[in-house]
Amino acid sequence: MIQKILFIFCLLCIAISCGVDDNQNQGYSPRPVNIAVPAIFSQLLPEPQIPSDNPLTQQGVLLGRALFFERRLSADNSLSCAGCHRPNEGFSDQRRYSVGIDGIAGFRNSMPIVNIAWNTKNKFNWDGSANSLEEQVLEPVINEIEMHNTWANVVATLQNDANYLAKFEAAFGSPTISKELAAKALSQFIRTLVSGNSKFDRYLLGQATLTPTEEEGLAVFLDENRGDCFHCHGSPSNPLWTDNDFHNNGLDENFTDLGLGDITGDPAQFGLFKSPSLRNLAYTAPYMHDGRFQTLDQVIDHYSEGLVYSPTIDPLMKTVSQGGVQLSLQDKAALKAFLLSLSDPSLANNPAYQNPN
Amino acid sequence: MFKKAAFLVLLVLPFVACDKNDDDQAQQNTPVSIGFLHSFYEDEVSVSSNTIQYTNGFGTSLSITRLRYLISQVSFTNQDGIKTIVKDYHLVDLSQDNSLTINDILLPPGAYNLKMRFGFTEATNTSSVYPDLNAVSWNVPENLGGGYHYMQLEGRWLDPGDSPDEPYLYAYHTISAVQNPGPENTREDTSIEIDLGEITVTQGATQINVNMHIDQWFENPNLWNLSELNGLLMGNYTAQKMMQENGQNVFSLASNMSD
Repeated sequence: MIQKILFIFCLLCIAISCGVDDNQNQGYSPRPVNIAVPAIFSQLLPEPQIPSDNPLTQQGVLLGRALFFERRLSADNSLSCAGCHRPNEGFSDQRRYSVGIDGIAGFRNSMPIVNIAWNTKNKFNWDGSANSLEEQVLEPVINEIEMHNTWANVVATLQNDANYLAKFEAAFGSPTISKELAAKALSQFIRTLVSGNSKFDRYLLGQATLTPTEEEGLAVFLDENRGDCFHCHGSPSNPLWTDNDFHNNGLDENFTDLGLGDITGDPAQFGLFKSPSLRNLAYTAPYMHDGRFQTLDQVIDHYSEGLVYSPTIDPLMKTVSQGGVQLSLQDKAALKAFLLSLSDPSLANNPAYQNPN
Repeated sequence: MFKKAAFLVLLVLPFVACDKNDDDQAQQNTPVSIGFLHSFYEDEVSVSSNTIQYTNGFGTSLSITRLRYLISQVSFTNQDGIKTIVKDYHLVDLSQDNSLTINDILLPPGAYNLKMRFGFTEATNTSSVYPDLNAVSWNVPENLGGGYHYMQLEGRWLDPGDSPDEPYLYAYHTISAVQNPGPENTREDTSIEIDLGEITVTQGATQINVNMHIDQWFENPNLWNLSELNGLLMGNYTAQKMMQENGQNVFSLASNMSD
């Protein structure tokens, strides 16, 4: 028996020693990195969702960051991901519709892409059309009204750039660039985009004090009879400020955009869109999936007296026949003040999120 | 070198020595799954739908667009009275197929009493302590007693004679019953123990199915009038107590099958 064990042990030693040598020979030693998890997230939320086949590495994140700001992803070298997901605009776009390389505008507002690593539902985009982040990042490159390129062209462009060759080799140990590896790198970087340093975060940590108006706004937000915002948009217990789920919030009687229903074909899901996070509203105007509201006041007015009935309206919408819950002017002002306390001014200037190219 | 090898051999030996016991344990335990089924009287409810296709005991027609509920303290008690809690809590969501089954249960074959609880007990219904539930906004605000929801059952409804063009909405949400909603509220445990009786775990795979009779939420013992109680129920102490009463006979053992 001992002999057998010794024999197995020797085989193991050989296998392990060979593995080490191989890695050293390839010069492929990516350094694992962790997402910088805000303190309040550590207290309240699950661990970030990192796919087992795409762990974060220092080299992968750096490559992803370079690609995120790389205009050569577009057909005419004019538009990068950051062109429509701007760091100083909450990684969204303050234009109602982003404009692609051919001067054509899209039909939905650019969705903010922070705290994606906590999207436990794994449904991405306003309409849930992507089932993973790695899948999501592939689409804008080939979208005809966005970057209007082909992945074959992008891969060829990157393959001819010695700088990118080195970055891909360092990140993935492969001299061959592929769209799958590019998607992995982009996803790694996007998962590092974390916003968790708002005044309200600091309040929860006992490091800041809310004004009386902000406190009253929180009460409106959490009051089932007034705002009832918490069912879809989180609460002090859910600092994502979204449920990452899909709802029809009473915008239209008739739909010109079916949202989730356009993807699933299910009439029960016509007009449903993903709840966006309420973080960084100070920087992410305009609002709603189609950017129809320019101001937060308009958003609050909509829920207060602008709701309209449609067959799929969410049952959580209150007194729809009267347009909504009819908030007082005082409640509206307080709610707005509270919502703005969820904005994180440190996001835009985080040096790890800036253009490295 | 010999010393290193001997040291590593000593490290390996305990694992090898444990193999036989592990094998015995593996032979003793058998996989058990608990599935959650849903019905409205005779109709199976397998997906949320916008179609108003069910009629409750009050005579109101309704749809079910959303159903989520929390089960906790899933336990198997064997013939010797030894209780094994196999799952502390589990969120069932009709729209998420992977939530409709509790897997990864391993038990020795035998007869058991199966129990679970609808919602959290007062002792376990502590605000913010379950990260996965926080992330899906399952919380109850502190002004409404804090802790977590027990159930969110939502949809549309129509009484006879109502125009079908614009049905009304309902949000039948169950939580701890709370008195004096606001900063000075007090809350009362309205979770429900579910005793599913005796089940048998046999060698091989065992599948247990539990059925929620959704219709019971609307009629037994309190006939539910949706025109009066269709929303804003979280802060309604009386409604929460009525829902707790109606929930007593909502769950039953549907099947206990073995491969």
